[in-house]
Amino acid sequence: MSWDRLQLKPQIISAVQRAQLRSAQEVLCVSGPDLQKVTGLSRSDVQDLLHAAAAAACRARPPVTALQLQRGECHRLESGLRLGTGCPVLDGLLRGGLPVGGVTELSGESGAGKTQLGLQLSLSVQYPVEHGGLSAGAMYICTEDPFPIKRLQQLISEQRVLRSDVPPSVIGGLRFSDHIYVEHSADLDSLQVCLSRRAPLLLAQGLVRLVVVDSVAALFRSEFQADDWLERNKQLLTFASMLHHLSQEFTTPVLCINQVTDVFNQSSSSVSSSSSSVSPALGLAWANQVTVRLMMQRLQGTVVRGDQSSALRRLEVVFAPHLARGGRDVGVWREGLRGVLDPA
Amino acid sequence: MTLQIENVIRSVWIWFWCFFGSTVLVPHQGSSSRWTQGRSIKNVEEALEALQAARTGEGGASVTALELLQKEEEFGSIVTFSSRLDEALGGGIPVGKVTEICGAPGVGKTQLCLQLAVDVQVPPCFGGLGGQVIFVDTEGSFQLQRVVDLAGAAVRHCSLLAEDEEQRVAMTTFSVETILSNIFLVRCRDYVELLAELHLLPDFLRDRPKLRLLVVDSVAFPFLRLHDDLSQRTRLLQGLGLQLIATATRHSIAVVITNHMTTRLRGGQSQLVPALGDVWGHAPSIRLLLQWEESRRLASIVKSPGHMDATVQYQITCEGFRDADQSEQLQSKRPRIQTDQ
Repeated sequence: MSWDRLQLKPQIISAVQRAQLRSAQEVLCVSGPDLQKVTGLSRSDVQDLLHAAAAAACRARPPVTALQLQRGECHRLESGLRLGTGCPVLDGLLRGGLPVGGVTELSGESGAGKTQLGLQLSLSVQYPVEHGGLSAGAMYICTEDPFPIKRLQQLISEQRVLRSDVPPSVIGGLRFSDHIYVEHSADLDSLQVCLSRRAPLLLAQGLVRLVVVDSVAALFRSEFQADDWLERNKQLLTFASMLHHLSQEFTTPVLCINQVTDVFNQSSSSVSSSSSSVSPALGLAWANQVTVRLMMQRLQGTVVRGDQSSALRRLEVVFAPHLARGGRDVGVWREGLRGVLDPA
Repeated sequence: MTLQIENVIRSVWIWFWCFFGSTVLVPHQGSSSRWTQGRSIKNVEEALEALQAARTGEGGASVTALELLQKEEEFGSIVTFSSRLDEALGGGIPVGKVTEICGAPGVGKTQLCLQLAVDVQVPPCFGGLGGQVIFVDTEGSFQLQRVVDLAGAAVRHCSLLAEDEEQRVAMTTFSVETILSNIFLVRCRDYVELLAELHLLPDFLRDRPKLRLLVVDSVAFPFLRLHDDLSQRTRLLQGLGLQLIATATRHSIAVVITNHMTTRLRGGQSQLVPALGDVWGHAPSIRLLLQWEESRRLASIVKSPGHMDATVQYQITCEGFRDADQSEQLQSKRPRIQTDQ
């Protein structure tokens, strides 16, 4: 960057150039006393420099009040949008659906219905905003199993049943399967390429406004040995920061499907309050990166509706900044996931 | 009384630290040779500057302990809406100090921060500060929906308490809308932006004398990504800590920051400790630890120069951060004392 644009004394600018500091970011990353040493400037000059660098790095974005957010005057920070699930019971639990900024994690045992919800969201995101969608497609990154294409076709054909609130002409006008971009990443490197190159392209063009990673645990569990935990944590943090970056940059919901692990030691439960014997995989380092944590469980019992029956499941909110802890019983039907209002 | 005196001594120390800490007390590892280079001229300049500052009273000319005590009492503190936690903290989160809230994900750190952002605005006639707040959100966890919930609950709570004329008049301006208009939000995507925001903060504070609370939720989130160069991280965090303390004392505002927990292995045993390392642990003067114990949420004061170690139970309701129900509290009392170290 050119330092001349900043309103600084010429002697400061020449000192900065002598010290070979190239950007405002670089200046901010050097602590104050170090900066004094490398530039040879006095303390007050360094303060001026830091101030100018800070102003340049923040690109003049003054703090906004929460009232401005509520009035929708600042879409960059709060669009008020939610991605609906397509089921009013679950939307009630999630207060409208997934938040568009932040990483939502959905964990559960195999067969709990995690992928079902992932697929359902990939469809509901395509509806217009007034029907709970974001009128864009979804990027679905598979790391474990092949993409369940047959199930997706079934869900698409049954959309009229699931979304009886939406006029059939709207559903008929949507070409669901054209707007789901499926990626297969079998290792961390290809996942990284996918998230850093292809995802930003699709998001920037507005083709996609939902990223689903199914699942995060598979890669991190398979690629690292137990004593590689330090390296694993680094990779996890890098991965999580990429997801957060995508989510904030493009105001896009990100859904990460996670596996669960058994908890042996019930006495040291200062990390979570879940009374069940499983907890989401990948540990504390990952949990710290998650904005909203949801969990699905397979319960005993079945629900019957007409000619269909489904094992009873439960979707729980483990934590979220804006949601109360709680859960809803759900069943998986031909048309998708639906909350059970009155458990049989 | 002994507690208060302890508090004062601590404050004196902080002023000393603010004033001299950044220039004298922090030589950095591995840079001793550079430190001595060109020392004569630069150090004379620095010394002159420091003297000048001392004479004009910038930063903090000498203050007696009594003056400090009076000042601190005048500052007051921000209630948490949990009477037990307030009691343990001697009235709430103190203004003029840095308080850190640590805890595992989902235990209620952000909830407490949002609660404080609303509580700092409670009108003075209700025992509040009637102040404003700047909320620096690094995790994207500032959810407007939730703030509206908490603000609505606080307004309802105060309107139930309103008795005399003054309080009724205060209630006419204490509404959800005014609460929202007094919360300033900044979102930072990485640590550079966070550092930059904090450099710009003094200007922002100068124009808003009513601002009484700075929240950074969280410090750990952007800094934990800086894992390649740990010594740089330590240095930057140290600078950040000093900056926060200086902001708290100079502008007399409460600084509340949140931190993650991390696992530390010691002698084959893993234990949960606040993240960002031991050096960072010196930055906050008060450290609150929120944790789960089975299905109860407990808040403990783990570090504070002016408070007894204490553990209280709390809950997060639709209305916000509140005391746990009385009956549960009594039942939990015995085992809790036993488990405390």
